[in-house]
Amino acid sequence: MKGSAAVELAEATRAPSAGINRGISILDLILRIVALVCTLGSAIAMGTTNETLPFFTQFIRFRAEYNDLPTFTFFVAANAVVSGYLLLSLPISIFHIMRSGAQNSRILLIILDTSMLALLTAGASASAAIVYLAHNGNAKANWLSICQQFNSFCERISGSLIGSFGAVTVFILLILLSGMALSRR
Amino acid sequence: MMRSDDHSATIDVPHVESKAVIKGKASLLPAAAAVAARPVGGWKKGVAIFDFVFRVSAMVAAVAAAAAMGTSDQTLPFFTQFFQFEASYDDLPTFQYVSSVFKKQRRCISESSDNFKIEMRDDMLLSSIVVKIRTHNVNNSIICRFFVIAMAIVASYLLLSLPLSIVTIVRRFAAGPRILLLFLDTVALTLTTAAGASGAAIVYLAHNGNQSTNWLAICQQFGDFCQKVSGAVVGSFIAAVLILFLVALSAMALRRV
Repeated sequence: MKGSAAVELAEATRAPSAGINRGISILDLILRIVALVCTLGSAIAMGTTNETLPFFTQFIRFRAEYNDLPTFTFFVAANAVVSGYLLLSLPISIFHIMRSGAQNSRILLIILDTSMLALLTAGASASAAIVYLAHNGNAKANWLSICQQFNSFCERISGSLIGSFGAVTVFILLILLSGMALSRR
Repeated sequence: MMRSDDHSATIDVPHVESKAVIKGKASLLPAAAAVAARPVGGWKKGVAIFDFVFRVSAMVAAVAAAAAMGTSDQTLPFFTQFFQFEASYDDLPTFQYVSSVFKKQRRCISESSDNFKIEMRDDMLLSSIVVKIRTHNVNNSIICRFFVIAMAIVASYLLLSLPLSIVTIVRRFAAGPRILLLFLDTVALTLTTAAGASGAAIVYLAHNGNQSTNWLAICQQFGDFCQKVSGAVVGSFIAAVLILFLVALSAMALRRV
């Protein structure tokens, strides 16, 4: 009797917990789509930079594109890889909505999410350092700021950082949500 | 007698058996649960101990990186070069014109950059230009300061989270401290990777320069500074990998058994 009562109680508490798990998984899917849009937008915004100033001399370049700085190339590559990963992880997230009790796939998703978070943060902060240098220069190392000449290039690269850092925040929330869903029952 | 014994046994046993069975089942359930839980939850303790060890090593790496970057300033020594011009006596107006030109240049040059200044001493007949070149430390830039501050924050967070890690070793099945550790470790990973990557961008520029933006490589002059800063960036990346392992361990330990 005690045993059967205990089993009934366990089943009753399992139902709302499963409902909360499902809600967490749906939120996970929505955040994943948001991060996908952010990283894709950042990659495209940085990758299509191309500014040519209307005058030229023989020795100084007056054309700026993202290829000129290898850090920006890394930024575009990192954002492209992360957006591809997010696209491929959407089916796994949908699977988690249907089966809220899956554990191993959630652990795999947490580990992959953390690796992608590290890659994304590395690309975003490296290009943030270069954007800061482009805006301000460094007097001690005799590095001149280039933003006074290349206005729209500078605006583009600064704006593409916003999407990337937003995606970083979304990834942190994703990892937290996955951890919470993993431990509930 | 056997029969009577059997009868007594058969009469007595059901009573005893029923009570014993009920008590036995009631006592078996938590005992069985305890027996089932102990060996199954044992791996969590191992995971938590690994977590503690990685935490200590990540803290050491973060402190080393912050210290290497913080003590990396380097000032090249003074050196002076004398340029001496002799002015002829009868060229006084020319001399005055030349000295006035040099005075203008001195003012012009010493204002445009704080890297070198020109002093001019007028003797009666000679004017000499003393050129002193003095270079400052370059690790006062905001990126290097951000690196030191971020690694210091991460190192102190890792130190303060050691008690929480010990709590997860002792209480294996508590999910709250583990989820808190997971979240805070993720934030620490972000901060470490941000500091390391921005430092790596600056170090790459210092080693190689960039032709299209006319930024020259400065590592040939600042040899020691470059070595220390590169070492600091490597240390921060090691700390980032260790914190990544910490997050993975927390995720695995959160599994419901």
